[in-house]
Amino acid sequence: MAKSLMIIDDSATMRKIIMRTMRMSGLEFDQPQEAGNGKEALEKLSNGPVDIVLCDINMPEMNGMEFVKKAREMSSCADTKIIMVSTESAQDLIDSVIADGANGFINKPFTPEKFQEKLSPFMN
Amino acid sequence: MITIDNICMNNVLLASASEVFETMIFMDLEQCFDTEQQIKDDTLLSSITFKGDLDGCLTICCSSDCAKSIGINMLGMDPEENISLEDTYDALGEVANMVMGSIKTKIQQNTANISVSIPMVVSGKNIVTNLSDSSAIKTLVKVTIDSQYIAEFCLLYKHNTL
Ligand SMILES: [Mg+2]
Repeated sequence: MAKSLMIIDDSATMRKIIMRTMRMSGLEFDQPQEAGNGKEALEKLSNGPVDIVLCDINMPEMNGMEFVKKAREMSSCADTKIIMVSTESAQDLIDSVIADGANGFINKPFTPEKFQEKLSPFMN
Repeated sequence: MITIDNICMNNVLLASASEVFETMIFMDLEQCFDTEQQIKDDTLLSSITFKGDLDGCLTICCSSDCAKSIGINMLGMDPEENISLEDTYDALGEVANMVMGSIKTKIQQNTANISVSIPMVVSGKNIVTNLSDSSAIKTLVKVTIDSQYIAEFCLLYKHNTL
């Protein structure tokens, strides 16, 4: 069954690129929801959780690090898989966001193969 | 502390820009040594600042036609299609964000932390980038994109001794 998806990124271009890359990766998703920052995403998620969230880190209003912490406080999002998609690549930053509750990390720039590899474990 | 010399930074900047253009924009990027070739017409400047062990900014300067072409490629649009100004700015901002991310990954092994701002895009004519601090080092890489456009990637930085 197709999974429900939310893409959080402050760049509309990047959200479109992520959607296209998802389609190219061959993974099955519903039409994704979009949010321009963490705060907007939390508001949308409070109306109903999604299976998978792809989340940028460097964003205005509320960045991806804060979003992960807040989302993990929401009981409705307990089963939501959160994958960070970011240009950040410092290992301590990756470790800390994983410790806060993120389930994976994809580096920008990325390829459809990378999406395939990182997301397929969450597709069942 | 290990410092990064300018030749090394030049290579890092070119490699980072090439990586982003290859994987995300699907346009061909070559270094251009021809001083005669200049960026023509209206110019867009995308910039992103960083602070930490290195302070400075990365800028990308190109014509608005070049920026439109980059946006069209990034979004997978038909080359004949019209891209909005908003999408063009957003795309060029994201290019700076990704190139900076790639630079950060490459220099991370040598220096420790830098944190990066949200990108900003402005338009104008004959835009020049400068840091008020005279101790800043400037690395400039001029490129041709798809053998058609000229763009300049400029990295201004200084080592933070604090
Ligand atoms: Mg961002």
